[in-house]
Amino acid sequence: MSSKSYSKHIPDFRLVMHYAESGTSLVHRMNPWTKAVLLVFVILFVIIIQDPYLLAILLVATVAFYAAARLPLTLLLGWYSLPVFFVLMLAVLFVFSEPGRQLASFELLGTRIALTENGVLLVGTLLMRALAAVTFSLTFFMTTRYTNIAVIASKCLPKPLDNIFLLSYRFTFETSDEVADVLDAMRSRSGGLVKGVSRQTKMFAGIIGLAFVHAFERAERIAKAMEARGFTGTFPMTEKMPRMRYADYALLALVAVALAIVAYSRYFNHPIGL
Amino acid sequence: MFWVLVWFAIATGIISVALYRLGRGQIPTRKLAIASMCVAVGFAAFQIEIPVFGGIHLNLTPLMGILVGPALGSLCVLTINIFSAAIGHGGWSMIGANTLVNTVEVFLGFYVYRFLRRYAKVGRFYSGFGAAATALTVSALVAVAIVSVSLIQGSTQTREQTMANMTVLAIGNIVIGLFEGVVTGYIVSFLGKMRPDLIGEPASARLEDTENRPEAAADV
Repeated sequence: MSSKSYSKHIPDFRLVMHYAESGTSLVHRMNPWTKAVLLVFVILFVIIIQDPYLLAILLVATVAFYAAARLPLTLLLGWYSLPVFFVLMLAVLFVFSEPGRQLASFELLGTRIALTENGVLLVGTLLMRALAAVTFSLTFFMTTRYTNIAVIASKCLPKPLDNIFLLSYRFTFETSDEVADVLDAMRSRSGGLVKGVSRQTKMFAGIIGLAFVHAFERAERIAKAMEARGFTGTFPMTEKMPRMRYADYALLALVAVALAIVAYSRYFNHPIGL
Repeated sequence: MFWVLVWFAIATGIISVALYRLGRGQIPTRKLAIASMCVAVGFAAFQIEIPVFGGIHLNLTPLMGILVGPALGSLCVLTINIFSAAIGHGGWSMIGANTLVNTVEVFLGFYVYRFLRRYAKVGRFYSGFGAAATALTVSALVAVAIVSVSLIQGSTQTREQTMANMTVLAIGNIVIGLFEGVVTGYIVSFLGKMRPDLIGEPASARLEDTENRPEAAADV
């Protein structure tokens, strides 16, 4: 994690970009379109698969893909905290209210609350779904160069959403650094010692407000610069995407067949599982 | 799968209307740059952990509505949702539902603020607070409705049971929303002093503010 980062739980975009631009692994050298389509397949797998063992296999496969890209696993574990938190926040009540065999029970405010087998299974499957998607998504962004992401975004997103996406992806680095600098300045002046909800809230509101003021001023300057350089609504793509090879098509066909089998078993009532 | 597609289709419809309102896809360069900057700041601000009540992250969508309006704000929240999905805060399959919820926040943030400030003549802080609190309360209820209709994958609970559980979560979100309302109120007050034009007020409002503060007037 870079020194500029200010949350250990949220991926640092600068670090993500560093791995994407400097990596040389097999996954880095894979065709970007192949990885993008694989990401779509993983999302579909996550939605369609119901069997917990198959979900576990999917999660292990995505982590293996991440490891094959020679990306740091310790970093991934830290970044898991955010999706884990969201899943637990959503599912915490379902653990105790899902019908099924009771594993444990306790008394809370005069009401008996039971932890059920189905409740635990539900949380487990939701976690595996979330983590599999996050792992593959991070692998995609940490192994695909910005120029290639720009081409994919410009082909997949409608205008002008592609421009907003690409511009904000670039601005994120500047803005994050600026906010981090203000936070560092605040801490160096003992701002971290400020106590009281009201005073702290006012202080952080000032930091965010200042970030918005600077952002608008910068946006106005950038817009003038873009118009001065003849911006017509489309960013020129200077780098061509590599063409997909037979191996890429073969891999995608293989995964598509697996997806078709899983979808058939789910929607035509022929359950498969381990 | 069905509901993922339904929410995605509704969100696509809303975004299409927003694009139409902004000039049938031909957004002026200035608005394009402002939207991109808003996404970047919204994303950066989300990463800040405010050290109250054990640490809170804000999503600032009502504030975005106040600053850039509902149409441009809708495009901003969609882009933020794509970024969030990329890094694990929100899922790819949830982009449609999340965009729908966030669009409600942007829409209400803008219109409630405008009503309070322009027609009810309420001060900046209370207008910002009222707009954000209303937007986040309604959006928490919309989220309950969305999850109750589409249900949680793998859960065997009925719609009524799911709604009861989600209502408990919504209460928690509404409490956090009230806190975000306070932060939004402070930010709007700050912006009113620094750049009133950003919140739809004439630039002379800044001067009036300065004149009303004797110590600042003395500095001038």
